[in-house]
Amino acid sequence: MTASPAPTTAPLIDISGLHYRYPGARADALADLDLQIGEGEFVAVVGANGSGKSTLARLAGGLDKPAAARRALACGHDLLTEAGRLAARRDVGVLFQNPENQLVAQCVEDDVAFGLENLGWAAPQIRRRVDEMLSRFHLEDLRLREPHLLSGGQKQRTALAGVLAVPRRALVLDEPTAMLDPAGRSEVLAAVAGLHAEGLAIVYVTQEMDEVVTADRVIALERGTEVYSGIPSGLFADTGLVRRLRLGLPAAGELALALAERGRGPVRLPLTMDELLAGFAGSA
Amino acid sequence: MKAAIAQYYPGSSPLHRLDPRAKFVAVTALAVALFVRDSFSGLGVFAVAGALAYGLSRVPVRWFWRAFKPLLWLVGLTFLAQLIFAPGEPFFSFGFFHVSWRGLELAAFLSLRLVVLVLMGSVLTLTTPPIALTDGLVWLGRPLRRLRVPTDELALMVTIALRFIPTLLVELDTIMRAQRARGADFRSGGPGARVRALVPVLVPLFVLSFRRADDLALAMEARCYRPGVVRTRLHPLRAGWGDAVLLAATAAAIALALLV
Amino acid sequence: MSLSCRGISFSYEVGGTQLPALRGVSFELPAGGSLALLGASGAGKTTLLQVLRGLDRADSGAVLLDGVEPDAAAYADLQREVGLVFQAAELQLFAATAREDVAFGPRRLGWPEADVTTAVEAALDLAGLPAGDFGERHPYSLSGGEQRRLALAGVLAMRPRLLLLDEPFVNLDPGTRRDLVAVLERLKAAGVTLLLATHDVDLAWSLCDQRLLLADGRVEAVGDWDFAGAGGSLLAANRLREPFLVELWRRLGRATESAPRTAAEAAEALA
Repeated sequence: MTASPAPTTAPLIDISGLHYRYPGARADALADLDLQIGEGEFVAVVGANGSGKSTLARLAGGLDKPAAARRALACGHDLLTEAGRLAARRDVGVLFQNPENQLVAQCVEDDVAFGLENLGWAAPQIRRRVDEMLSRFHLEDLRLREPHLLSGGQKQRTALAGVLAVPRRALVLDEPTAMLDPAGRSEVLAAVAGLHAEGLAIVYVTQEMDEVVTADRVIALERGTEVYSGIPSGLFADTGLVRRLRLGLPAAGELALALAERGRGPVRLPLTMDELLAGFAGSA
Repeated sequence: MKAAIAQYYPGSSPLHRLDPRAKFVAVTALAVALFVRDSFSGLGVFAVAGALAYGLSRVPVRWFWRAFKPLLWLVGLTFLAQLIFAPGEPFFSFGFFHVSWRGLELAAFLSLRLVVLVLMGSVLTLTTPPIALTDGLVWLGRPLRRLRVPTDELALMVTIALRFIPTLLVELDTIMRAQRARGADFRSGGPGARVRALVPVLVPLFVLSFRRADDLALAMEARCYRPGVVRTRLHPLRAGWGDAVLLAATAAAIALALLV
Repeated sequence: MSLSCRGISFSYEVGGTQLPALRGVSFELPAGGSLALLGASGAGKTTLLQVLRGLDRADSGAVLLDGVEPDAAAYADLQREVGLVFQAAELQLFAATAREDVAFGPRRLGWPEADVTTAVEAALDLAGLPAGDFGERHPYSLSGGEQRRLALAGVLAMRPRLLLLDEPFVNLDPGTRRDLVAVLERLKAAGVTLLLATHDVDLAWSLCDQRLLLADGRVEAVGDWDFAGAGGSLLAANRLREPFLVELWRRLGRATESAPRTAAEAAEALA
């Protein structure tokens, strides 16, 4: 079942009533979840550990079979069928948290080529696309480097290049910076910002609020269900929810919460120092 | 930290540029012929062929020595065994040991044959990157697929295993250090104690590896990997005139060795 | 336990050449004090921690524990009172139950079983894994944050008087991160000397009396410096920024040397 050609506002990922439970688990990992991502949208997914974020990321990429859903379409492919999931894996890329455990080949350029080799592309086309990706992610000097000699940020960029070597319509990232040092983190965030600017639809799973600021929309999960869906500032305004979900606040947010406890907090949760200072000026 | 065995020496010599399939077939044929012919003259031909090939590869001699060193004991053992236990009139005796000319001859021959065998194998591994060699073996093993042997999947397993060896060695070192920091001792005690001391190292390493296997499988599926589907390659194998020359030269060497 | 680091130098041997990792590192950390080790990846932080713990021997220089020199008879015993928590410490878990894993260290120290049990229970409680609930759990059934805590308990059970930690906050969910900070505060209050390598400048500011900036194996700055005085180029060259509260105090026109260390302190000052 494919989605009929629709006006440009048709969602790229269209999920309704999604259920998933791990074998032997006592509760659903995802319960009655809705998710719509449009072309070029940047949607962040936040939530505490065990809220279902990673499960959602895998299902959206066609890597796992939903237990049930009213509707589960990724780029027009039905995730409830095996064929649909296989097709979804081509259109939706997924980048995982652990950079080491995504690289299979013995050098960078071979790893970037892996996906295209799996799809049976001819060697000259693979060469062209690999060169394009190496240039795009600033990996040309590292093309023959072995994976164990790369830094965390370099490994994650290599993995990203490998995922995107296959032309994608959407990209899901599951806490891609969690295991990186600050340098690696900014490399990956810059790459993702560039992809967003180019119009790729992005689903960004994270626990750090400061990575959410530039998102078009945020979805917050708690125990497999959605407890918030809307613009980031709306989530930031709900300090109780932020605390309940145990989300990582940048320093400005922590200070604002501490001030709120003393009755002097700004109305809206600030994420940057500028916002905090503006809040002070506003309440003066 | 790299294992000396199957160590690849990057270069652009004529041998480096040859197709791995041709090289593998040549080495295998030479190795078989080496054991068929039982004369010093034949051995001499093979030795010269091997040395010529090594020279063509432009790999420094010390790399051969590094690959050969671990096998020195085997050569030495072969030499001694033949020397002592071979039949023949002894010209020199010391108590239990009888050394005959025949024994000396046999010992020399068998040891030298071993050296020549290692020389040929080294030329192959020093001039062929593991991934190319695996690709070559997969192609040669294609007929096995009809017998349901999963050659492509096995090849991928080998390349992935090779890719993770350096990583695993670092992780092994880290885990050992972490346990040493908790008082673990890997050096002292009898064999029993030392084996038990490895449990806090091997268990985490295994768990790490299982977790890695899960993660890696998922990442591979996310990049459209499907077992059983034929994969293309970024660096496809391309046989050329040089390979034909190699095979012809190999045939000639074998013919010469068998006739001499 | 006090720590005195005098001119430590160390090189790695890689394929025949010597790669210097530490060059004449010197600093003093008084008993009960706390020091944050800052620096980019590859600056030598992990190497320094492992030399301090005695897992590697320095090429030159000396590490004095409680003023005792390395060649003294008492040194080996003192070294056993230095705990080192590795990065991704959960990698070291191996036993069938949490209790058994934590007991490994104390047992290796040769303590009588009764003392081991007491130490294990205390360590589990301190790390936020009450022995009653978590003692019999299998380490691999625990969440990532719980595993990190269990690994920490394994080191704490050996009752270290000097605790070295290598990037303890990386890849921790925000809740566990906050809990870990609380554990370290409790250890500080109990008089344990702390030395922690971290990328997090805000934690380096809030948790530790002193900060040491390591760059390319050398000490670039050490002491109770407030980043603001350290000079912009030093920070930029090492990809560091000022702690949030220091920058805030500066922008509010207040003296940075007396900038608050925690959000709570800042809120008190501002409210």
